[in-house]
Amino acid sequence: MKSKSSNSTHPLPQPEGLRGGLLYWLMPVAILVVAGITLVLRESELLWRAQELSLWLPTELYWNTLMQYPGGAVSWLACYLTQYFYYPWLGTLIMCGLWLVICLLLAWEYRLRGPWLWLTVLVPLALFACVTQTGYWIYYQKLQGHLFVPTVGVLFAALCMAVPRLAESRLSSSSARWVRLGWLMIVCLAGYPFFGAWALGATALVASLPGTQPAPSWRGPVVITSFTLLLIGAIPQIYYQSIFEMTQRAYVYVAAMPSMRYGSESFEIYRLPYYAIILAFVLIILASRYGKALAQRFASGAKSYMPAAVIIVLICLAVVGVNAVWYRDVNFQKELAMNHAIDDLDWDRVLEIAREPADKKPTRQIVMFKNLALFRLGRAGDEMFLYPEGAEKQNAPWQLHMTQVGGKQIYYHYGKENFCYRWCMEDGVEFGWKLELLKFMARNSLLNHEWEVARKYLNLIRKTTFGAEWADHYAALLNNHDALDLEKVEAAIKAGKPILSERDTEEFLPIMHLMTYPDRLDGDNTLVEMYLLNTFAKGNGDDKMFQEMTLLCALIMKDIDLFWPRFMKYATLNPEVHMPRYYQEAAYLYGHLENKVDISHMPFDQSIRDTYDRFMQFNAQCGNMSEEQKAVAFAPMFGDTFFYFYFLVRNQKTN
Amino acid sequence: MMKKEALSSQIVTAPSLTGRAGGESVGSFLLVLFLLLLVSCSSPSVPEHYTESGLAAHIYPDYADITIPVNIAPLTFHIDDEATDYVTRLSAGNNEWTFGGNDVCPSERQWRDIKKKALDEAGGKIEVEVFVNNKKGWQRMKPFSYTVASDSIDPYISYRLISPSYVTYEDLTLNQRCLETFDESLIYGNMINSDEKDGQCINCHHTQWYNPNRLQFHVRQYLGGTVIAYDGDLRKVNLKTDSTLSAGVYPTWHPKRPWIVYSTNSTGQSFHTRAPEKIEVQDTKSNLIFYNLETNEVTPITRDTTNLDCFPFWSPDGQYIYYVSAHWERRDTVNLDFELIKNYKDVQYNLYRMAFDEASQSFGEPQLVYDAIARNRSVTLPRISPDGRWLMFTEGHYGVFHIWHTDADLCLMDLTALPFGDAPAPIAKTGRAVTQNPDGVSGASQRAAAKPDGVTGATAQAKPDGVSGASSRSQLPSLTGEGSGERLRAHEGTIRDSATIAAAENIPMPAYIRYISEINSLDVDSYHSWSSNGRWVIFSSRRVDGNFTRPFITYFRSDGTFTKPFELPQRNPQFHREFLRSYNIPEFMSGPVTISPQEFARIIKQDATPANLLMK
Repeated sequence: MKSKSSNSTHPLPQPEGLRGGLLYWLMPVAILVVAGITLVLRESELLWRAQELSLWLPTELYWNTLMQYPGGAVSWLACYLTQYFYYPWLGTLIMCGLWLVICLLLAWEYRLRGPWLWLTVLVPLALFACVTQTGYWIYYQKLQGHLFVPTVGVLFAALCMAVPRLAESRLSSSSARWVRLGWLMIVCLAGYPFFGAWALGATALVASLPGTQPAPSWRGPVVITSFTLLLIGAIPQIYYQSIFEMTQRAYVYVAAMPSMRYGSESFEIYRLPYYAIILAFVLIILASRYGKALAQRFASGAKSYMPAAVIIVLICLAVVGVNAVWYRDVNFQKELAMNHAIDDLDWDRVLEIAREPADKKPTRQIVMFKNLALFRLGRAGDEMFLYPEGAEKQNAPWQLHMTQVGGKQIYYHYGKENFCYRWCMEDGVEFGWKLELLKFMARNSLLNHEWEVARKYLNLIRKTTFGAEWADHYAALLNNHDALDLEKVEAAIKAGKPILSERDTEEFLPIMHLMTYPDRLDGDNTLVEMYLLNTFAKGNGDDKMFQEMTLLCALIMKDIDLFWPRFMKYATLNPEVHMPRYYQEAAYLYGHLENKVDISHMPFDQSIRDTYDRFMQFNAQCGNMSEEQKAVAFAPMFGDTFFYFYFLVRNQKTN
Repeated sequence: MMKKEALSSQIVTAPSLTGRAGGESVGSFLLVLFLLLLVSCSSPSVPEHYTESGLAAHIYPDYADITIPVNIAPLTFHIDDEATDYVTRLSAGNNEWTFGGNDVCPSERQWRDIKKKALDEAGGKIEVEVFVNNKKGWQRMKPFSYTVASDSIDPYISYRLISPSYVTYEDLTLNQRCLETFDESLIYGNMINSDEKDGQCINCHHTQWYNPNRLQFHVRQYLGGTVIAYDGDLRKVNLKTDSTLSAGVYPTWHPKRPWIVYSTNSTGQSFHTRAPEKIEVQDTKSNLIFYNLETNEVTPITRDTTNLDCFPFWSPDGQYIYYVSAHWERRDTVNLDFELIKNYKDVQYNLYRMAFDEASQSFGEPQLVYDAIARNRSVTLPRISPDGRWLMFTEGHYGVFHIWHTDADLCLMDLTALPFGDAPAPIAKTGRAVTQNPDGVSGASQRAAAKPDGVTGATAQAKPDGVSGASSRSQLPSLTGEGSGERLRAHEGTIRDSATIAAAENIPMPAYIRYISEINSLDVDSYHSWSSNGRWVIFSSRRVDGNFTRPFITYFRSDGTFTKPFELPQRNPQFHREFLRSYNIPEFMSGPVTISPQEFARIIKQDATPANLLMK
């Protein structure tokens, strides 16, 4: 048995001593630190949302559910880790920590020393890109725990390689070869059900590990390669025939990999970071095999820095690549931030985000979030047109539907509990169960007085790592049914003995007001905004809040016939309230347009009359302009008026 | 307060099962640790001293005072009462078994012993005592019992597991469960042949007379067809013909011959905006067809477009087909779908039957068996006991898809007490004769697909906007107008006013029918199936949480009454509390289906053999 230490490869001249070796780690560590800080600073909303759109439960049922498919354990671990994005810095710390472990393992396993070990950082950079390219996939990715899956998968592969590496350092080379052969089989056979395609990758990587001795003949590598290919080809098929009864044969080789498909379309570009992981490993393997020869070739003079320079260039290229695939979209970021603020019932924050400057018009979802916030603050009638209007398409290469993105939250707050529940259920079935869905369904059920099913969802949420506090808070309502009875809540408030806490009142009371409509059979055809506008505008009720919503929707729909009765009723129900600006503007405009209602005795604000007059005068001056030209010309002076909205904001396509 | 409690207690030392670790040194700590290990390895013991609580323990599932089959899997339950320690004692005669913790989970071996001792020594009685150690010390909760019936239950059930969703369906599986153990396995799951692009729904599994080797189920959308296994012959057929409304939907096998009667349906669904029912599934058209497996021929039985004939069930002697039917004549100018949505509460079904002549393979005139509409009710799912005497059905106020109707209850009809006996009675309703009205079928307007939790339906075509094609079902078009205020009744072609309806509510049930009050709940009780010996019924209920359907089993006594139903036992007693899918169409089987899911997948990938149309 030969001493392994005497045969270790040192491709490049080493700095002296341990301190010198550690110095080479400064760059990878620095890159990982920068990556972590960048993630937290720039993607914390994405990370926070990722844990809301994931679910991990410490139950046998949850484990079994994931393990129906090959690679279920990757998702199980990834979902567990995803929970830590509840604190984005904590999840990021864990993720970067795992990336560092991967680098250390790879450097050790492939015997990379000096600048060559910098190559290991290419793997975390590719993993980083897997996270930052996410964008709207966060709603549509069916692979559970998808943000952490590549990290867990690569870590698994790196850990698998440690065994033959250890064997080589402790056993004779022939024994080590047998160990590697056996380990190859174990990794593939035992790893595949748990780690899916990542186990197949790990098998290939174990086979690729460089030996400490050159192979005595060509037969050894050929045998190993053939055996590896046989394993990778056959094991998934064996499992398909015998164990996994829910996986298509065609997909057994990509099990536990993100599909990057939606409907009939496949989006190859999103697979680039995954190909980059493979490329990084290829470079590392090449470096481990040929690094020594290269180092000797460039051993002297200025050329000795060539390998290091080449590696740095590679890393720079990788950084450029990461930057290129990084999904950046101001509307996406705004939607995420608004969603979070609404979860916190921080309506002012929602409006702040809506006001933030952007290089493009808002999406309908942003407009709807903004309108919701204004309505909840009681300022919609005075401020709804002070914010940018728009219908920018959400930036994804497939057709997004608001029901699958922010629609559930909108339905929830507008009192359409059955429809919120419905889309939670649809998404849970199609994309897998998520914490956010359970949270909505628990609250929908509470508001619908379906106590037992609410308890079911709350109990599930309580089992998650960070969900107990949330679940306990809402579970208190299970034993206080009066707390979600509008009449009793109102009566208690009037009596000065509120049943609900201040926070719960803020959340539930407006929803309960908006739920004062009769049941009927209906369907939204996935068009959240159209459905809400239609049903509220055509609704009729005596509840003040509900009634104002009907007026607002009639106003947004520019439906004059629906507007007048709701305007009149609003005036009757709110005699003490100064008529909000936009209701006045609409009434003043409609009064002049149709003369069906006598507005001569209505006490319009003078500013309304003046603005209308100026608008009409300006319109007369711009007589020959097209509508598009007018929209631009009128915007600076009249962009915040209902008159502008009525005449010049058209074709707002909603999804 | 404490004093009062102490006085009222019989007494009180309450040894903790977990002991108390009070050592001051490492040695004593290790000793305590050792003792703890010892205690944890030993069987828990019932506290020597306790007080009587007088209250029933809160256990889930509710297994208190139930009757169980001799071959049922262990009954496991969870004690919901808050306490620090729990001991449960099961006793049968002089034999006792104790269990610690709030999950009471006898092993299969223990359970066999318990049942055997109960039958041999205690007249079938198993006494259950739950002891809890709470603030009041050890208390014995009010004991309850199980009664082991000597009648066995069929060893297997089949069911579909589906999320109670609306138009999406991933991870849809047909499963089989051994009732004697906790073993569950897949018959077929849709994901083996589905992907993002091509989704597949599976539904309406049904065996011929409990025989797992004679099974059929449908595959909808991608690779669609009806899969039929018959004594080793496995095939996929397309039952849609030019002259039938859709492919076969709700099936019923002839008890002996290779014949299946199906309904053909055009089905859709729409959504309640406020009601807890959430979904309304409606047929806009439905008829009956006869399929001969040997000749691969489909023959229409009913074709009247004004009658919605559904849920056929063959009597055990093969002489009748029982089914439900609603009569609906279009009266508005709006689209039929909208009209039915608008008037969904006015579509009500009666129970009918048709005689079947085996020699000519033809059906007689429809005969009204139960006029539910006269009582302002609507019936569905007729199922007859194997001895042919009892007919169980589900009744609600409207519609045919009662799994979504909270007022749905199970009813029992004594067929030997029918006022017209076995003789087919004349019927007033017109247009129901077999194979008449050839113009009645409008052709290719099937629209709906799999229906949500419950029984599933016709061929799918339309995909709702926004749901990926891989896993979507259709929905009826949106109706955003104001709801209808009028109350139209389609009963024997008449429109009834509200006074008539109110009067109908008070009409008593016929003497030969009764609500099975001993098993019905305040929530949905719907799909039901008789065991092969007629002593057990398994049925779907949403009584636990109102949303997720669970199978319940009840014992049918010889006096025509049922015992308290119990939920399907699970290894983990809280399994159903965590489980987010519903059980659909639980049906008994005499054994397991032995064809593997992969084998089904292989057949399903093949083209379906088109059935031939045979007009009589």
